[in-house]
Amino acid sequence: MISFFQNVIDAVALGSIYALVALGIGLIFGILRLINFAHGDMITVGCYALIVPSTDAAAQLLIGSWTPLAAIAAIAIIVLLVALSTDALVFKHLRRASPTTLMIASFAVSYVTQNALLMAYGARAKGVDFWSGVNVQIAIGELRVPLLQLITVAVTFALMMLLNLFLRYTRYGIQMRAAAEDFRMAQYIGVRGNIVIGLAFAISGMLAATVSLLYVTQSGSLSITMGVPLVLFAFVAVVIGGMGNLLGSVVGGFLIGILLTMLQAYLPPDLRAFRDAFAFAFVILVLLVRPAGLIPARNTIERV
Amino acid sequence: MSALLDIQELHVHYSDLAAIRGVSLHVDEGEVVCLVGPNGAGKSTMLAAVAGGVKPTSGSIRFDGGSLRSVRPEQIARLGVSLVPEGRQIFGTLTVEENLRIGGYISSDRKAAASDFDRLLVTFPRLKERLAYPAGRLSGGEQQMLAVARAVMTQPRLLLVDEPSLGLAPLIIEQIYKTLLELRAERGLTLFINEQSSARVLKYADRIYILRGGQIQLEGRASDLRDGDAIRKAYFGFSAGSQRAAENVA
Ligand SMILES: Nc1ncnc2c1ncn2[C@@H]1O[C@H](COP(=O)(O)OP(=O)(O)O)[C@@H](O)[C@H]1O
Ligand SMILES: [Mg+2]
Repeated sequence: MISFFQNVIDAVALGSIYALVALGIGLIFGILRLINFAHGDMITVGCYALIVPSTDAAAQLLIGSWTPLAAIAAIAIIVLLVALSTDALVFKHLRRASPTTLMIASFAVSYVTQNALLMAYGARAKGVDFWSGVNVQIAIGELRVPLLQLITVAVTFALMMLLNLFLRYTRYGIQMRAAAEDFRMAQYIGVRGNIVIGLAFAISGMLAATVSLLYVTQSGSLSITMGVPLVLFAFVAVVIGGMGNLLGSVVGGFLIGILLTMLQAYLPPDLRAFRDAFAFAFVILVLLVRPAGLIPARNTIERV
Repeated sequence: MSALLDIQELHVHYSDLAAIRGVSLHVDEGEVVCLVGPNGAGKSTMLAAVAGGVKPTSGSIRFDGGSLRSVRPEQIARLGVSLVPEGRQIFGTLTVEENLRIGGYISSDRKAAASDFDRLLVTFPRLKERLAYPAGRLSGGEQQMLAVARAVMTQPRLLLVDEPSLGLAPLIIEQIYKTLLELRAERGLTLFINEQSSARVLKYADRIYILRGGQIQLEGRASDLRDGDAIRKAYFGFSAGSQRAAENVA
């Protein structure tokens, strides 16, 4: 029983990470119909920004050595600026392009970002000792819970609450929801397209920065392609949740995290190597039963 | 006096398809002008071009003397042109109140927008009762009212209305036209309305343009066009003699 609860905590913590990544993808998709595979590389940028640019194998902390508040602020600002510049340099010029073209452009942005990191930091994966102080276990009754997992879950829920309040009660949030439903109509009613799009990139950038910090603290390692599996599973989360629906993205993110953790824990040992295959089989099953995802959005299929 | 809306030699293409082919028309301040034509005539394209949603190939669109070509839709809204689109396009997942408030965000004067909101609810009592509803749950007539009210929240001088009667019962259509005329009287709005049928608009319009195949076929004061023969001819492209054929086509 104890080990089951331990697994649940693992699952929710991993689910939190996927939910944050899926939210970042879902927000941009909602406004721009862009499936932004470069979102994972924004996370990678946030991780590498912690260390001194060099091709040495040993990572030396730069921003990562600052006080936590300063480091958090700096990483958030850096990732936000990089995310905004992907829009300014690439996506902004493709506003009338089809979703397919946009997605392919996001692959291009992804590769360019990875190669830019490669030039600055080298190809080898690096170990990094960042905020290792929070990698302690605290005892709750008989359970021993990693503090970082509690922080991860708490931060995720706090951010989701904030985002929800923002979207529901502020004028910019309401404008974003309107634009996600019908971008052209929102413009007709005076919503400034560029502000809404800029906000979507800025918020998704801050979500990516959060994932950077949580993820690198947990894993203690850096690699140029570290964002790729995150974005792949988060994209799957967005699809099973229902494209164009933020609640769906969050639900999908948690589902994926729970699924992966539980498969890892309870699959027979010789099948564990095929965990991801089982996970994707489940995803296909979900989509066979509910092709539009668990919580379908009303308006994703057609829009001008 | 120059017209509030002045369109000259307008051409609009959707890739190869010429939807508008050399249209010139004008709407004077305070007028109710109707653009009438069959399905596919190009009516919606005309309004979308004025509101900035589609880019003309050539020609000029001037509002209050200034060109609207290559101006963004959100900027055109700020200049005082507001569109009630075909099919209403209300934000179904937003509440009725949010749909209305969003139109007011255009104004930097929050107090004025708030008092305008209150004033508008007097004109739309049905909406007032349903402020907290998701707008997607409203009936078709209520959604049309909401689309009109939302457009008026931007405090326009020119209101573009695309087929307000589409899919609605006659009684509700009457009510919507009554409300539009009320808004005109109250706020000095100028109305430019699309309809498929001239029967109704002859009653409300000052002037009418008949559009077919992307070209203006006929223009006149509504009072001069009460005898429907000229309209029928312009609308269908053949004369009263072949009216039976026209009815078959219609
Ligand atoms: N987005 C579009 N893409 C391609 N063709 C269009 C588009 N919108 C309208 N059309 C075409 O342009 C012509 C005029 O359409 P429209 O302006 O909607 O006419 P109306 O509103 O009078 O029914 C029609 O032939 C229609 O098929
Ligand atoms: Mg139309």
